[in-house]
Amino acid sequence: MTRTLFAATLGALLAIGAALPTAAHAEVPVRVRVIKGSRQGPAKVDPRLEDLRRQLSPLAYVRWDQVSEHRMELDRGRTQFVELPGGETAALTLQERHGDTVTFEVALTSRNTQSRLTVQKGQRIVHQVTGEKKGEALFLTVNAWP
Amino acid sequence: MKDCVRYAPMLGARPGELTDEERRALDLHLQGCAGCSATAAELAALDGLVGESLLARANARDFAPFVDQVMARVGAAPGLAPARGRRGFLGWFRAHPRAALASLVPVLAAVALVVYVRLEGGQLGQVASLELSTEGEVTMVLQTSDGPVVLLDDGEHS
Repeated sequence: MTRTLFAATLGALLAIGAALPTAAHAEVPVRVRVIKGSRQGPAKVDPRLEDLRRQLSPLAYVRWDQVSEHRMELDRGRTQFVELPGGETAALTLQERHGDTVTFEVALTSRNTQSRLTVQKGQRIVHQVTGEKKGEALFLTVNAWP
Repeated sequence: MKDCVRYAPMLGARPGELTDEERRALDLHLQGCAGCSATAAELAALDGLVGESLLARANARDFAPFVDQVMARVGAAPGLAPARGRRGFLGWFRAHPRAALASLVPVLAAVALVVYVRLEGGQLGQVASLELSTEGEVTMVLQTSDGPVVLLDDGEHS
Protein backbone atom coordinates (compact mmCIF):
# COMPACT_ATOMS: atom_id res chain seq x y z
CA MET A 1 0.00 0.00 0.00
CA THR A 2 2.84 2.35 0.92
CA ARG A 3 4.64 1.58 -2.30
CA THR A 4 1.46 2.15 -4.25
CA LEU A 5 1.01 5.56 -2.70
CA PHE A 6 4.66 6.38 -3.27
CA ALA A 7 4.48 5.41 -6.94
CA ALA A 8 1.27 7.36 -7.45
CA THR A 9 2.65 10.45 -5.73
CA LEU A 10 5.88 10.26 -7.70
CA GLY A 11 3.99 9.99 -10.97
CA ALA A 12 1.71 12.87 -10.13
CA LEU A 13 4.66 15.06 -9.15
CA LEU A 14 6.43 14.26 -12.40
CA ALA A 15 3.34 15.16 -14.40
CA ILE A 16 2.86 18.39 -12.47
CA GLY A 17 6.52 19.17 -12.96
CA ALA A 18 6.02 18.82 -16.69
CA ALA A 19 3.14 21.27 -16.53
CA LEU A 20 4.91 23.84 -14.38
CA PRO A 21 7.07 25.39 -17.11
CA THR A 22 3.92 26.44 -18.95
CA ALA A 23 2.54 28.19 -15.89
CA ALA A 24 5.86 29.53 -14.67
CA HIS A 25 6.72 31.36 -17.87
CA ALA A 26 3.98 33.93 -17.58
CA GLU A 27 6.28 36.59 -18.99
CA VAL A 28 6.24 37.05 -22.72
CA PRO A 29 9.26 38.57 -24.45
CA VAL A 30 8.13 41.24 -26.86
CA ARG A 31 9.84 43.21 -29.60
CA VAL A 32 8.31 46.64 -30.11
CA ARG A 33 9.28 48.93 -32.97
CA VAL A 34 8.17 52.44 -33.78
CA ILE A 35 8.14 52.96 -37.52
CA LYS A 36 7.30 55.89 -39.75
CA GLY A 37 5.40 55.71 -43.00
CA SER A 38 5.66 58.46 -45.61
CA ARG A 39 3.63 59.07 -48.71
CA GLN A 40 6.35 61.20 -50.31
CA GLY A 41 9.75 60.20 -51.53
CA PRO A 42 10.99 57.14 -53.35
CA ALA A 43 9.44 53.82 -52.39
CA LYS A 44 11.73 52.21 -49.92
CA VAL A 45 11.43 49.89 -46.96
CA ASP A 46 14.01 50.00 -44.19
CA PRO A 47 15.92 46.69 -44.32
CA ARG A 48 15.14 46.21 -40.62
CA LEU A 49 11.44 46.17 -41.53
CA GLU A 50 11.76 43.49 -44.17
CA ASP A 51 9.68 41.05 -42.07
CA LEU A 52 6.79 43.56 -42.15
CA ARG A 53 6.77 44.09 -45.89
CA ARG A 54 3.66 41.98 -46.54
CA GLN A 55 1.69 43.82 -43.87
CA LEU A 56 2.87 47.26 -44.94
CA SER A 57 2.49 46.85 -48.70
CA PRO A 58 -1.34 47.30 -48.79
CA LEU A 59 -1.02 50.72 -47.14
CA ALA A 60 -0.76 54.00 -49.02
CA TYR A 61 2.62 54.85 -47.52
CA VAL A 62 5.53 54.11 -49.80
CA ARG A 63 8.52 54.84 -47.61
CA TRP A 64 9.04 53.06 -44.32
CA ASP A 65 11.73 53.80 -41.75
CA GLN A 66 12.36 52.39 -38.29
CA VAL A 67 12.41 55.11 -35.64
CA SER A 68 13.16 53.08 -32.50
CA GLU A 69 13.17 49.56 -31.17
CA HIS A 70 12.41 48.25 -27.68
CA ARG A 71 12.63 44.77 -26.22
CA MET A 72 10.68 44.07 -23.07
CA GLU A 73 9.16 41.30 -20.97
CA LEU A 74 5.44 41.67 -20.56
CA ASP A 75 3.65 40.28 -17.51
CA ARG A 76 -0.04 39.70 -17.73
CA GLY A 77 -1.93 42.80 -16.65
CA ARG A 78 1.13 45.02 -16.32
CA THR A 79 1.26 47.93 -18.72
CA GLN A 80 4.49 49.04 -20.38
CA PHE A 81 4.79 52.39 -22.08
CA VAL A 82 6.53 53.20 -25.32
CA GLU A 83 7.65 56.77 -25.95
CA LEU A 84 6.78 58.12 -29.34
CA PRO A 85 8.46 60.99 -31.16
CA GLY A 86 6.65 64.21 -30.31
CA GLY A 87 6.11 63.35 -26.66
CA GLU A 88 3.15 61.03 -27.03
CA THR A 89 3.02 57.64 -25.36
CA ALA A 90 1.57 54.29 -26.34
CA ALA A 91 0.60 51.81 -23.63
CA LEU A 92 1.05 48.10 -24.24
CA THR A 93 -0.53 45.48 -21.99
CA LEU A 94 -0.49 41.69 -22.15
CA GLN A 95 -4.10 40.73 -21.52
CA GLU A 96 -4.09 36.95 -21.94
CA ARG A 97 -1.92 34.11 -22.96
CA HIS A 98 -2.96 30.62 -24.05
CA GLY A 99 -0.02 28.60 -25.22
CA ASP A 100 1.38 30.32 -28.30
CA THR A 101 -1.52 32.75 -28.51
CA VAL A 102 -1.40 36.14 -26.81
CA THR A 103 -3.80 39.04 -26.55
CA PHE A 104 -2.35 42.54 -26.37
CA GLU A 105 -4.03 45.80 -25.66
CA VAL A 106 -2.64 48.87 -27.40
CA ALA A 107 -3.88 52.10 -25.84
CA LEU A 108 -3.33 55.62 -27.10
CA THR A 109 -4.39 58.03 -24.39
CA SER A 110 -3.97 61.07 -26.57
CA ARG A 111 -6.54 59.72 -29.02
CA ASN A 112 -8.75 57.83 -26.56
CA THR A 113 -8.19 54.62 -28.47
CA GLN A 114 -7.91 51.06 -27.20
CA SER A 115 -7.40 47.95 -29.32
CA ARG A 116 -7.36 44.38 -28.15
CA LEU A 117 -5.57 42.15 -30.60
CA THR A 118 -5.01 38.41 -30.37
CA VAL A 119 -2.14 36.99 -32.37
CA GLN A 120 -0.22 33.77 -32.54
CA LYS A 121 3.50 33.30 -32.24
CA GLY A 122 5.12 34.49 -35.45
CA GLN A 123 2.47 37.11 -36.19
CA ARG A 124 2.96 40.83 -35.74
CA ILE A 125 0.67 43.68 -34.83
CA VAL A 126 1.00 46.89 -36.83
CA HIS A 127 -0.92 49.68 -35.15
CA GLN A 128 -1.04 53.29 -36.25
CA VAL A 129 -0.34 55.48 -33.24
CA THR A 130 -0.42 59.03 -34.60
CA GLY A 131 -2.57 60.80 -37.10
CA GLU A 132 -1.14 61.64 -40.47
CA LYS A 133 0.73 64.93 -40.65
CA LYS A 134 2.33 66.16 -43.86
CA GLY A 135 1.96 62.77 -45.41
CA GLU A 136 3.63 60.93 -42.54
CA ALA A 137 2.31 58.76 -39.72
CA LEU A 138 3.83 56.68 -36.95
CA PHE A 139 3.06 53.04 -36.35
CA LEU A 140 3.83 50.64 -33.57
CA THR A 141 4.69 47.04 -34.39
CA VAL A 142 4.56 44.32 -31.77
CA ASN A 143 5.62 40.73 -32.04
CA ALA A 144 5.87 38.25 -29.22
CA TRP A 145 8.69 35.73 -28.85
CA PRO A 146 10.80 37.50 -31.50
CA MET B 1 -34.96 -52.48 23.05
CA LYS B 2 -37.03 -49.41 22.78
CA ASP B 3 -34.78 -47.73 25.33
CA CYS B 4 -31.65 -48.84 23.42
CA VAL B 5 -32.92 -47.04 20.30
CA ARG B 6 -33.39 -43.92 22.41
CA TYR B 7 -30.00 -44.04 24.11
CA ALA B 8 -27.81 -45.32 21.26
CA PRO B 9 -27.18 -41.83 19.79
CA MET B 10 -26.02 -40.67 23.22
CA LEU B 11 -23.31 -43.30 23.61
CA GLY B 12 -20.64 -41.42 21.72
CA ALA B 13 -21.50 -38.05 23.22
CA ARG B 14 -18.63 -35.81 24.31
CA PRO B 15 -18.53 -34.27 27.77
CA GLY B 16 -20.95 -31.38 27.92
CA GLU B 17 -23.06 -32.49 24.96
CA LEU B 18 -25.73 -34.09 27.20
CA THR B 19 -27.80 -32.39 29.84
CA ASP B 20 -27.54 -33.60 33.42
CA GLU B 21 -30.94 -35.26 33.08
CA GLU B 22 -29.91 -37.06 29.87
CA ARG B 23 -26.60 -38.11 31.45
CA ARG B 24 -28.38 -39.60 34.48
CA ALA B 25 -30.93 -41.40 32.35
CA LEU B 26 -28.13 -42.81 30.14
CA ASP B 27 -26.19 -44.03 33.19
CA LEU B 28 -29.31 -45.76 34.54
CA HIS B 29 -29.84 -47.43 31.16
CA LEU B 30 -26.24 -48.56 30.88
CA GLN B 31 -26.47 -50.17 34.32
CA GLY B 32 -29.33 -52.35 33.14
CA CYS B 33 -28.35 -52.93 29.45
CA ALA B 34 -25.36 -55.12 28.70
CA GLY B 35 -25.49 -54.44 24.97
CA CYS B 36 -25.33 -50.65 25.28
CA SER B 37 -22.64 -50.96 27.98
CA ALA B 38 -20.52 -53.01 25.58
CA THR B 39 -21.05 -50.54 22.75
CA ALA B 40 -20.13 -47.62 25.02
CA ALA B 41 -16.96 -49.42 26.09
CA GLU B 42 -15.97 -50.04 22.44
CA LEU B 43 -16.55 -46.42 21.52
CA ALA B 44 -14.48 -45.23 24.46
CA ALA B 45 -11.64 -47.56 23.53
CA LEU B 46 -11.76 -46.54 19.88
CA ASP B 47 -11.83 -42.86 20.78
CA GLY B 48 -8.72 -43.30 22.88
CA LEU B 49 -6.96 -45.21 20.14
CA VAL B 50 -7.66 -42.57 17.52
CA GLY B 51 -6.45 -39.80 19.82
CA GLU B 52 -3.29 -41.65 20.68
CA SER B 53 -2.66 -42.51 17.04
CA LEU B 54 -3.00 -38.89 15.94
CA LEU B 55 -0.77 -37.71 18.76
CA ALA B 56 1.83 -40.32 17.90
CA ARG B 57 1.89 -39.28 14.24
CA ALA B 58 2.11 -35.64 15.16
CA ASN B 59 5.02 -36.29 17.47
CA ALA B 60 6.77 -38.31 14.81
CA ARG B 61 6.71 -35.38 12.42
CA ASP B 62 9.56 -32.86 12.49
CA PHE B 63 8.10 -29.33 12.34
CA ALA B 64 11.45 -27.55 12.46
CA PRO B 65 11.62 -26.81 8.71
CA PHE B 66 7.88 -26.13 8.51
CA VAL B 67 8.17 -22.34 8.22
CA ASP B 68 10.91 -22.54 5.59
CA GLN B 69 8.90 -25.03 3.55
CA VAL B 70 5.79 -22.86 3.67
CA MET B 71 7.72 -19.73 2.66
CA ALA B 72 9.36 -21.60 -0.20
CA ARG B 73 5.99 -22.79 -1.49
CA VAL B 74 4.46 -19.31 -1.15
CA GLY B 75 7.37 -17.77 -3.07
CA ALA B 76 7.14 -20.36 -5.83
CA ALA B 77 3.40 -19.96 -6.34
CA PRO B 78 2.45 -17.73 -9.29
CA GLY B 79 0.81 -14.41 -8.42
CA LEU B 80 2.03 -14.46 -4.83
CA ALA B 81 4.95 -12.76 -3.17
CA PRO B 82 7.98 -12.39 -5.44
CA ALA B 83 11.00 -14.62 -5.12
CA ARG B 84 14.38 -13.04 -4.56
CA GLY B 85 15.19 -12.99 -8.26
CA ARG B 86 12.15 -10.83 -9.09
CA ARG B 87 12.72 -8.12 -6.57
CA GLY B 88 13.19 -4.56 -7.69
CA PHE B 89 10.98 -1.84 -9.15
CA LEU B 90 9.75 -3.78 -12.18
CA GLY B 91 9.42 -6.96 -10.16
CA TRP B 92 7.14 -5.14 -7.77
CA PHE B 93 4.92 -4.02 -10.65
CA ARG B 94 4.79 -7.58 -12.00
CA ALA B 95 3.89 -8.93 -8.60
CA HIS B 96 1.23 -6.29 -7.94
CA PRO B 97 -0.49 -5.63 -11.26
CA ARG B 98 -3.63 -4.20 -9.67
CA ALA B 99 -1.68 -1.87 -7.44
CA ALA B 100 0.40 -0.78 -10.42
CA LEU B 101 -2.76 -0.11 -12.41
CA ALA B 102 -4.23 1.85 -9.53
CA SER B 103 -1.07 3.93 -9.26
CA LEU B 104 -1.34 4.81 -12.94
CA VAL B 105 -4.75 6.44 -12.52
CA PRO B 106 -3.56 9.72 -10.94
CA VAL B 107 -0.57 9.76 -13.28
CA LEU B 108 -2.78 9.44 -16.34
CA ALA B 109 -5.15 12.05 -14.93
CA ALA B 110 -2.28 14.51 -14.48
CA VAL B 111 -0.94 13.79 -17.96
CA ALA B 112 -4.41 14.25 -19.43
CA LEU B 113 -4.69 17.60 -17.68
CA VAL B 114 -1.37 18.75 -19.10
CA VAL B 115 -2.29 17.60 -22.61
CA TYR B 116 -5.71 19.23 -22.32
CA VAL B 117 -4.27 22.56 -21.19
CA ARG B 118 -1.71 22.62 -23.98
CA LEU B 119 -4.18 21.49 -26.64
CA GLU B 120 -6.66 24.07 -25.47
CA GLY B 121 -4.07 26.79 -25.94
CA GLY B 122 -3.28 25.60 -29.45
CA GLN B 123 -6.92 25.29 -30.46
CA LEU B 124 -7.74 28.75 -29.18
CA GLY B 125 -4.96 30.11 -31.30
CA GLN B 126 -6.28 28.40 -34.40
CA VAL B 127 -9.87 29.40 -33.83
CA ALA B 128 -9.31 33.06 -32.91
CA SER B 129 -5.93 33.92 -34.31
CA LEU B 130 -6.89 37.49 -35.11
CA GLU B 131 -9.49 38.42 -32.58
CA LEU B 132 -9.90 42.16 -32.42
CA SER B 133 -11.92 44.69 -30.52
CA THR B 134 -11.35 48.42 -30.64
CA GLU B 135 -12.70 51.56 -29.07
CA GLY B 136 -12.07 55.14 -30.08
CA GLU B 137 -10.94 56.52 -33.40
CA VAL B 138 -9.90 53.30 -35.09
CA THR B 139 -11.57 53.07 -38.45
CA MET B 140 -9.92 50.24 -40.33
CA VAL B 141 -8.34 46.93 -39.54
CA LEU B 142 -6.58 44.87 -42.16
CA GLN B 143 -6.20 41.23 -41.28
CA THR B 144 -3.27 39.50 -42.90
CA SER B 145 -1.67 36.15 -42.39
CA ASP B 146 1.22 37.96 -40.69
CA GLY B 147 -1.05 39.78 -38.25
CA PRO B 148 -3.47 42.68 -38.02
CA VAL B 149 -2.87 46.23 -39.23
CA VAL B 150 -4.86 48.84 -37.33
CA LEU B 151 -5.34 52.27 -38.89
CA LEU B 152 -6.59 55.41 -37.20
CA ASP B 153 -9.28 57.70 -38.45
CA ASP B 154 -7.67 60.46 -40.52
CA GLY B 155 -9.77 60.24 -43.60
CA GLU B 156 -6.78 60.70 -45.83
CA HIS B 157 -4.72 57.53 -46.02
CA SER B 158 -5.19 53.95 -47.17
